[in-house]
Amino acid sequence: MNLFKKIITYRPSFTVRILAGLVGFLAMLSVCTIVGISDIGALGERDINFKARSIEAGARTYAEQCARCHGLDGKGIEANGPTLSHISFVGKSEETIAANNVLGSKEVTKSTRLTQLGWTGSLVNYIRGVVAAGIPIKSAADWETIHPTFSQAYGGNLREDEVNNVSNYVANWALAPYESDDVILPPEPGTGGTPRPTAVPLSAEQEKGKELVVSLGCNACHAIRGVMNGAVGPNMTNIATIAEGKVTDEQYKANVKDQPAATTAEEYIVQSIYHPNAYIEPQCPQGACAAGIMPQTYEQSIPAADFTALVSYLLTLK
Amino acid sequence: MAIVGQKLVQQLKTTGLKATLAQRLDDGFTRFTSGLSWNDVRGVLRGDPAPRPNTRVKPHTEGFWFHIRPSFYHEAVTTLYPTFRLGFLSAWIFVLEIITGIFLMIFYTPSPGAAYPNMIDIMTNVPFGKFMRDLHRLGAEAMVVIVTLHMWRTFVTASYKKPRQFTWFTGVLLLIITMFLSFSGYLLPWDQLAFWAVTIGTSMADAAPLAGPTINVLLRGAPEIGAGGLLRFYLLHVLLFPLIGVVFVAVHYYKVVRFGISLPPEMEAVGEDTARKVTPDKRVNFMPDILTNELMYVAVAYAILAISTVTWYAGAPLENHANPLVTPQHTVAPWYFYWLQGLIKIPHIFPFFPSDWGITASIDGFFANVLGLTPKTLWGIVIPPLVILLLVVVPYIDPNPSRRYADRKVAITLGVLFELLILYLTLGGRPQGVPVTGFGDVRGDPATEVAQDFIPDEGESIIKAIPYDQLVVGTHEVVEDLNVPDAPELNTVVHELRDEMIKKMQLSDPAKKLSNDATATLAVTQLQDNLKSVLLTINYTDAEGTAKQFTKGAWVHKDAGHAE
Repeated sequence: MNLFKKIITYRPSFTVRILAGLVGFLAMLSVCTIVGISDIGALGERDINFKARSIEAGARTYAEQCARCHGLDGKGIEANGPTLSHISFVGKSEETIAANNVLGSKEVTKSTRLTQLGWTGSLVNYIRGVVAAGIPIKSAADWETIHPTFSQAYGGNLREDEVNNVSNYVANWALAPYESDDVILPPEPGTGGTPRPTAVPLSAEQEKGKELVVSLGCNACHAIRGVMNGAVGPNMTNIATIAEGKVTDEQYKANVKDQPAATTAEEYIVQSIYHPNAYIEPQCPQGACAAGIMPQTYEQSIPAADFTALVSYLLTLK
Repeated sequence: MAIVGQKLVQQLKTTGLKATLAQRLDDGFTRFTSGLSWNDVRGVLRGDPAPRPNTRVKPHTEGFWFHIRPSFYHEAVTTLYPTFRLGFLSAWIFVLEIITGIFLMIFYTPSPGAAYPNMIDIMTNVPFGKFMRDLHRLGAEAMVVIVTLHMWRTFVTASYKKPRQFTWFTGVLLLIITMFLSFSGYLLPWDQLAFWAVTIGTSMADAAPLAGPTINVLLRGAPEIGAGGLLRFYLLHVLLFPLIGVVFVAVHYYKVVRFGISLPPEMEAVGEDTARKVTPDKRVNFMPDILTNELMYVAVAYAILAISTVTWYAGAPLENHANPLVTPQHTVAPWYFYWLQGLIKIPHIFPFFPSDWGITASIDGFFANVLGLTPKTLWGIVIPPLVILLLVVVPYIDPNPSRRYADRKVAITLGVLFELLILYLTLGGRPQGVPVTGFGDVRGDPATEVAQDFIPDEGESIIKAIPYDQLVVGTHEVVEDLNVPDAPELNTVVHELRDEMIKKMQLSDPAKKLSNDATATLAVTQLQDNLKSVLLTINYTDAEGTAKQFTKGAWVHKDAGHAE
């Protein structure tokens, strides 16, 4: 109790005050000096730590968003997504993390894919662009499936930091890329990909049909490249070619219900409009197609002349 | 001008250049200090006795900074007891917060896209950036502690009594402002910790009757915290709260000077206040004694904070980027709000009967049906303002005129009980709740908890802290005696994991010991050249006898620095 009393009634002498104050002041100065000196190296170390953590976070996003098409190991999945971890795409780099953000540093092998595409920026910036803005046009992808836009800025679901993290992760494959020939790669630019529709001059009736696809409201659900952009039902850009294929398609013949199977492309198109539930396409832009979405009243509601014009236009979409 | 010039020439002629220069410099110095020459200041810092006539009073009458300080104190308040200098320290930590805060403001943009990269930039690109950030955070926490202790001291020495009731009131406001300042700064790093702590905090406001949802939207700027909410919290943190703080510090301090620092209770007759009646023999002059004392206190306090920042203090955390779609396990408010979280966890309106009596449920039903009052609204919304109100009215409801400890047994006992209650609620506010009584334990099924302890998405992760080289690729059974060569830390962690899993399983199911069949594996895969993934799989049977599997993964980069 006496000691306690001594402590709480302690009045430091003048010398103690000046000395303790000086010691405190000098200690503060020393801490600042030590921090200043150690930060010279520590800043760089922390920089590497945070870049490494960005790759860790990117690995999670990759597993959640990218792996279903490109595979968890980045080796690609046939008909879904090409190989990402291959040397022809990521090239080969010696440097660990820094190389991903600095153009061309410590690069041992250049990415042949980027050279083919004529991309002159860094690998990670190319990846960032594709992840964020996608390759939403088939002709640009040279690939059966388009690449979705993932950035929230382009209607996707990833924030900017997630786009950056996942790009850092993909670019990190450049340290030890996959080098075997057993890979899934997109065709060289200009040599393959989706056939482009040939431009055929339309007759007056077909022109009328082209206006009808919009005025009848087909555009609410369907897309025809350069005409309309619906994203619910199947894409109509190549419907004539598809319809021709269907009439010999066993899968179609086996699944058509309540209606005779069409034998010509025209019959298939007519059937699809008048009896939409007769056959349901497996794949729609937002997942599996469903019966009953498309109205079943067009046989009654579209005048015969208009209908003929409509079908004649759709048959030009080869 | 001509006259000034003449005087100078005259002086130069009579006393020479050196003496003239010295005299002129000292003149300027004296004007700067409002009346103290260089020799006077030297005398103050040497502890010399005051000169006659006493020039040291001049700054108190003529200068701005010292006119707000008294020219002498009562001898009895210049020891550590009774004030412990807590109010003084609070004010100077506030100054420290302003200095470090302005430094951080330079490198910060209050926008969801920029805030988090700014934080990384402060730590990786700005010299002193991490130090300033950690010091700012430590200072904020220290300020909450010291302001609370200051209030506690004022209560114990009964310094809130007449005529200092209003001073106490401004003090309560300053305590609230301190907490709000600390809390509003919480959101700014824009990481998961920030986002969810503030989401919880503002959702409390949301639950308030009538104006609650409006207050919530005003705070958040939208139904959910986003760009608007971040900007608002930033402005509250750097503008509104500091401004209110400065105003009330001024009022508070004016009152302290006006009434004087209350003397130790035992020195005064009951009901008297003699702080301002200081006989000349009891006076301790501000200069040199108080001034040097305070310089020492500030220097030592700042040194302790600076040294703590670079030694034992873990530093301000930075978790993953804020993600409104992913709620981390066990989201908590800052520790000084744990008592509020503890309050919300009280399950009944009247929680003092054992709940199996049925009467507690009937009371809950009655209040819910008749008044529309649920336990959550009562304890989370109605009670906290009442606690603040209670603090405010303490000086007015305390009928005891005496400040002596012996006369205040009831008040001090009540105060201690109040503190213990807050402490109990604080413990209960944590996810693991209060030991022994189990109040506030919100932990989920054992597998989730084991994963949360060893491999959480946010915060320190024991498994990620295993050195990269020792995370040996392969699937390791989680067994007592795992013996992977050259991986002692992996073996130790797996051993601890096994113990903890068995312990948690048994705790969750004490009777049946179903836990004995719990097995787990830790699968380490090499994903990229410098990146491994770790997957923890726990197979167990839950209390209902259903076989369950729980998995949780993490990614570890060679250079991420988790092991440090």
